[in-house]
Amino acid sequence: MKILAKYEFDELVNKWIAEDPREVVGATHDGTKFVFDDIDDAEELRLDYDLTMLSPKKYFFPQRERLVQYDTNENDYAMVQDWSEESRIIVGIHPYDLVAIEQLDDIFIDAQGDEPYRRKRENSVLIGVTMQSVSEHSFAASMGTARTETGYDLLVTELEDTYAIEIGSEKGSGLLEEAPTKEASLEEVEAVEEQKAAVESKFEKGIEFSPKQLPSLLKEGYDAVEVWDEYADGCLSCGTCNVVCPTCYCFNVDVVDYMTDEVGETRRRWDGCLLEEFAAVAGGENFREERVARHRHRLMRKGNYLYERFGDIACVGCGRCTKQCVADVADPSEIYNELWRSVNA
Amino acid sequence: MSQTKMKPRVAFFDFTGCEGDQLQIINLEEKLLKLVEIVDIVSFREATSAHSDDYQIAFVEGSISRDHDAERLEEIRSNADTLVALGSCATIGGINAVRNSQDFDTVQKRAYGDDADRIDSWEDAKPAAEVVEVEYEIPGCPIDKDEFLRVVTDLVQGREPSLPKYPVCLECKLNENTCAFLREDICLGPVTRGGCDAVCVSEGTRCWGCRGLIDNPNENAAFDVLEEHGLSVEEVTEFYNMYFGWQQTAEVEQ
Ligand code: SF4
Ligand code: SF4
Ligand code: SF4
Repeated sequence: MKILAKYEFDELVNKWIAEDPREVVGATHDGTKFVFDDIDDAEELRLDYDLTMLSPKKYFFPQRERLVQYDTNENDYAMVQDWSEESRIIVGIHPYDLVAIEQLDDIFIDAQGDEPYRRKRENSVLIGVTMQSVSEHSFAASMGTARTETGYDLLVTELEDTYAIEIGSEKGSGLLEEAPTKEASLEEVEAVEEQKAAVESKFEKGIEFSPKQLPSLLKEGYDAVEVWDEYADGCLSCGTCNVVCPTCYCFNVDVVDYMTDEVGETRRRWDGCLLEEFAAVAGGENFREERVARHRHRLMRKGNYLYERFGDIACVGCGRCTKQCVADVADPSEIYNELWRSVNA
Repeated sequence: MSQTKMKPRVAFFDFTGCEGDQLQIINLEEKLLKLVEIVDIVSFREATSAHSDDYQIAFVEGSISRDHDAERLEEIRSNADTLVALGSCATIGGINAVRNSQDFDTVQKRAYGDDADRIDSWEDAKPAAEVVEVEYEIPGCPIDKDEFLRVVTDLVQGREPSLPKYPVCLECKLNENTCAFLREDICLGPVTRGGCDAVCVSEGTRCWGCRGLIDNPNENAAFDVLEEHGLSVEEVTEFYNMYFGWQQTAEVEQ
């Protein structure tokens, strides 16, 4: 573990901004809310944020992305890959978002071999931060994701006048090479541990059982119609809970021509299983036509289906869906707890 | 494009409306040049005085609100192979249809004063599809330029144009807007057809519903949300009626 005075950390970040070929982005405040965005100066960083609007997954899997351009005017059909390979240093990622990115890596890189994702992901450096503030909507501690020992290249914890920096990879240590770091003292290492433990007690929300029990709970509770109906009745099928989620990875691909059928491109855009047309297939069938089926599907997926397939509980408890659902029917902790009570009644 | 292909002949017409949708088309700027590469515009009052009744695709803007409108629209219908309604007024009645739920005499007096008697307007302002068969609709007040181009391109390429089925919230979230409801405002985004890139919310206001209701809105839930945010039943209805009035009446009658 390394120690840097706060001003030295700021100088280091400014040095990256000035000299590193990668773009420096981080948690910042845009005047109305916390977001991950470009920063021109370390002062713009807000490492004390509680919850950002979207997670940094947008840097590897952008909301909208061109994939391929085609041109059939050429003698032979020309098709060029045209996604960006941007590289970034991303500063200030909370542990639950780091966990979410590890899950996306499994899916996009290992399972799907998705090149547009992989290039951007591997070109980027993830600098995590130990949470300082906790959103009232978050229940990460109960999901075991309010802290993490993996998934970061560097992890920064604020101490009094200094930052303690844990090294997670060679990419991370490379960033510290020219910084005037000191080795952390035993006390400082302990202070970091205390910080991480203290954060866990700041959460107001939580699931009332172990996340390990979630896959079984969902299996047993699949037919607890009263619980599912109670939430689905108020659901607007707006898809918000999907698109704000750091672990959702569905997208839709459109072919867009440039007003002639010879030249055009394919684009992908985030999609969501709550949207009515999501499960519609050619021929007019829709697998999940009923609102309640779609609403349940998301919660089944987060807590059971993805576990069955990849071994991960795909809700990291960030609370974004809870906060952004205008109908207030998306909160996984609330729904899972209610299911727990109903199954155990 | 192969030069042998015939360019479809296209005409634009306006009824009761502000012509804001045609203005959007004029505002296409360099894309307008691309447009005339793929279609022949034979009638477009906003841009040229030339006119021909020989066209395949007719775009009509504005709502239909008098006998004379209906006659003209029927004639356009009989000339065109494909009729496309353009903008909120032509697709869902638009702002004009707000008056449908009000007392007609009062409406007429307010609009025309002492001349009210000389106006032969219908009590209801109607979308084009109420009067003639309409193949496609491009909603919005005003229309989205790119959506218009997409529909034209689809028609020229012989593909079936389609509109987004998702609500405005989706694009709003992709743009990382602060939700109107989280800044103590209200919004119709959850029940309004997307495709506008949530421009109004991105500009700092709310969604007014100009693109019309999505196919299967959960209206009870939407009403509840608005009421929870402090609107009375009357206020919710009024907010809804601004653009959704016609669609809602049509729904009740079904
Ligand atoms: S649960 Fe909430 S956020 Fe999700 S689709 Fe339904 S209304 Fe939208
Ligand atoms: S389901 Fe909701 S709380 Fe869970 S990770 Fe997704 S957005 Fe966060
Ligand atoms: S501001 Fe309106 S459109 Fe945007 S997310 Fe909120 S309700 Fe939906």
